[in-house]
Amino acid sequence: MDIQLKRGLLDVCVLAAIKNKDSYGYQIIKDMKPYITLSESTLYTILKRLEAADMLTVRSTEHDGRLRKYYRITDAGLKRIEMFKAEWTEILAIYQFVAKEDQQHE
Amino acid sequence: MNKQEYLSRLRQRLSGLPQSDMDERVAFYSEMIDDRMEDGLSEEDAVAEIGSVDEVVSQIVAETPLSTLVKQRIKPKHRLQAWEIMLLILGFPLWFSLLIAAFAVLFSVYIVIWAVIISLWAVDVSFAAASLGGLITGFMMLCRDDAVQGWLMLGAAIVLAGLFLFLLLGCKSVTHVALALSRKIALWVKSLFFKKEDVE
Repeated sequence: MDIQLKRGLLDVCVLAAIKNKDSYGYQIIKDMKPYITLSESTLYTILKRLEAADMLTVRSTEHDGRLRKYYRITDAGLKRIEMFKAEWTEILAIYQFVAKEDQQHE
Repeated sequence: MNKQEYLSRLRQRLSGLPQSDMDERVAFYSEMIDDRMEDGLSEEDAVAEIGSVDEVVSQIVAETPLSTLVKQRIKPKHRLQAWEIMLLILGFPLWFSLLIAAFAVLFSVYIVIWAVIISLWAVDVSFAAASLGGLITGFMMLCRDDAVQGWLMLGAAIVLAGLFLFLLLGCKSVTHVALALSRKIALWVKSLFFKKEDVE
């Protein structure tokens, strides 16, 4: 898949994974696993990018005698998800057109 | 490999990164391993799922900007002593010229690659221009009843147009190769800032 496109999609996926409840790294990977396999390094980069863009905040909490980082979505992050959903109907319409034209030729 | 071993190897390999950056990354992978073990995996399996140190490092090399690496490398690890500053000043003619030489070599490699590309494109464009000129003069000659020369000119123009198209394909693929090469060189330069393998 086109790298720019994939990067944008993964950003939204991670935002969705923390939308309803604050979450931590491994939980995010587990939640996404049925849909997409995400490597640790990729997740780290995405989280950093989203933090720099103020789409999420990070806090360290003690868990079982060690520190664990929890990520919380911000208003900007919520807005990004909304934007994606609005864009997506457009992309879906384009896909349907392409699929329909493709089928007619067969 | 156990967790401690894995993290210390990672730390060693990432010593080219700024301290805070490195700490944060290592803490991230440490948390990932701990969470997997809490989920029921054995320590070895948890480490294996993260991927090899090499894989992790090569991804970090690719995404860290060169400027960060250079800044980290030239930043002194402690406050400079008076004698170190003296040495730096006295050694300036030596280390500065070496630095300039290194940059010049790298820069010339890029120049050489791109000079080839630019000259290829220049030849191709001149084929196109000559072909266009030939077409126009050919038609003009035909209009002035210079039939033989006119047709000759038109024929030459068509041959040139063919050469132009043929060379265009070559230019395109060579440009692709050069782009890939430039990217590889940049990656290689960046990887110089990371340790190659573990120092036992």
